[in-house]
Amino acid sequence: MASLSLKGIQKIYPNGFHAVKDFNLDIADKEFIIFVGPSGCGKSTTLRMIAGLEDISGGTLEIDGKVMNDVEPKDRDIAMVFQNYALYPHMTVYDNMAFGLKLRKVPKAEIDKKVREAAKILDLEQLLDRKPKALSGGQRQRVAMGRAIVRNPKVFLMDEPLSNLDAKLRVQMRIEISKLHKNLGATIIYVTHDQTEAMTLGTRIVVMKSGVVQQVDTPQNLYNTPCNLFVAGFIGSPQMNFMDAIVNIDGNDVTLTVGQHILKVPASKKQALIDGGYNGKTVVLGIRPEDVHDSEAFIANSPESVIKSTIKVYELLGAEVFLYFDVEGTQMTARVNPRTTLRAGDEAVFALDMEKIHLFDKETELTITN
Amino acid sequence: MEHTPELSKALGELKQVTGLSFEIQADSLEEQDYALTQIHHLMLAYKEKFNKTHFLKSLLSGQINSYDITEQAEHFHISNEVPRILYLIESKYSMDDTLIEILKQLFPVPSTSYLVKMNECSLALIQQEKDSFSLQDALSTAHMIVDTLNTEALASVRISYSAIFRSLAALSQAYEETALALKVGSIFYSEHTIFPYNYLGIGRLIYELPTSVCEDFLCEIFGKQTSFSFDEEAMQTINKFFQNNLNIAETSRQLHMHRNTLIYRLEQIEKHTGLDIRKFEDAMTFKIAIMAINYLQTERID
Repeated sequence: MASLSLKGIQKIYPNGFHAVKDFNLDIADKEFIIFVGPSGCGKSTTLRMIAGLEDISGGTLEIDGKVMNDVEPKDRDIAMVFQNYALYPHMTVYDNMAFGLKLRKVPKAEIDKKVREAAKILDLEQLLDRKPKALSGGQRQRVAMGRAIVRNPKVFLMDEPLSNLDAKLRVQMRIEISKLHKNLGATIIYVTHDQTEAMTLGTRIVVMKSGVVQQVDTPQNLYNTPCNLFVAGFIGSPQMNFMDAIVNIDGNDVTLTVGQHILKVPASKKQALIDGGYNGKTVVLGIRPEDVHDSEAFIANSPESVIKSTIKVYELLGAEVFLYFDVEGTQMTARVNPRTTLRAGDEAVFALDMEKIHLFDKETELTITN
Repeated sequence: MEHTPELSKALGELKQVTGLSFEIQADSLEEQDYALTQIHHLMLAYKEKFNKTHFLKSLLSGQINSYDITEQAEHFHISNEVPRILYLIESKYSMDDTLIEILKQLFPVPSTSYLVKMNECSLALIQQEKDSFSLQDALSTAHMIVDTLNTEALASVRISYSAIFRSLAALSQAYEETALALKVGSIFYSEHTIFPYNYLGIGRLIYELPTSVCEDFLCEIFGKQTSFSFDEEAMQTINKFFQNNLNIAETSRQLHMHRNTLIYRLEQIEKHTGLDIRKFEDAMTFKIAIMAINYLQTERID
């Protein structure tokens, strides 16, 4: 397997469209890296540049220390799995997996060995004689993976490989891909717009927006310490709640005013506001839905972080309940215990876990406290 | 003199291929060799003229009269009146056998799919479809072709597709549509790989204008100072500003630039061109002008 280094990678198309800007990343051997971001953020373009399917406009791409910018795709020792995969309809599973190697004139015995090894890894041994139309969606997807595995590449590149599958199958295949990564010990770069896929699969995640890398970190760090408003909003479902808050610094006491609510900032967060000279300024207060509590005990213990509102929507999801309400014109969500007695139309009191709040500069949108 | 085995074999093949019988009188081996060469040339010419690929290629390039189409199509067992769609696939490098083999395996039914190599880098796929086939299905097929060629052949390709047509007589028009879509797509929408014939937007309008009209338009907008003289940084700023729907805050953030710096740059552009691209109408004029410049640059390179 392989390590990769992307230094100052740029992609500017002839029509002037600047798709990727100054992309820097070192990927260690056997890492599972996820590129995530909204549609058009440059994640697939970056992957295609690594594959050699797009020219690199600027910067350097290295695989195992060797500069690859001008190396043809077939000589980069990579394999790809894309979203719109197709199996050859008249070929068996075996032939589908062997076809790429046959085209490369690999000896028959070697093809047979590689196909059977891949089939074993993917649990396809019993299906080798079947034609694609006799396979389920998940089995077909595994065959598509098999076609990449038989190449025994240094790096696997996957571009939204699960997007065409239904929700249930996607969860199943996510587990399969995770197992595959462990079994193969492969370096994998995986593009998705689905943050659940990103969080569950990646060892590290690259969050992109408009061609610019926003943050590179482990899933846990991205969730707990987002570096800016975009990452905070993009990672997590339901997304983080945001409200404008005015900072008041009075000696060592720091509070945030959100409309009529005054929230006391804990010691762990206030120094950054004092040091940054935020007194009197408006900042963006972010809090995840699970950190908005409705339990009486929590509210009693946190009298200085209480907000009041009327429940607009009650959503029971079985193991949890989402409560939607407005605070000073901003919609908020609380993820609470399903035993809650609150229902739509109820006047509700919530307490924010102030140790878990995130504060962002309103102008730069960068984090103040993380 | 009795015919050599080679000559007898060639005469047999000639009859099989063309239905023509020849009687050859040759008194020496040299004369027999000469006759053999002539027969080989004749067979080659006949195959070229009357084989299916040659027929389809001629049909695509509009070189067959409409009244000959039905007869020739029948000769090659090609149905005339069925719904079809044309995909034109263009490879960055020469269209090698690997790509063709993959496409043959993706569309394995020879009576409904025809592959015709148009030149070194492009290949036409004429695909028969069901009545229920829609242009949305065509888009999915185009994605599937691109992704499969990307993954299996590691080849960089672009593809365009035509409208659905029902008669072979419409094939040449379909080819014109797809060729135009590829051309317009690569000039104006170079970040894409799939170009539907009916989704070419303003690029098609500009492409179909004579270059002199574009030049006059640019002269009207920029005077003698064309945007060629804008530096890369200015063009990058403008493109980013357009990508962000004329949003100053978002553009300055993405360019890591203070909003006042961005505003100063935009004012400089206004000073040079008279266009305040913060206003929709001026932004639209500027955008079209940039597209016209791209078009003219490509035309000049070609």
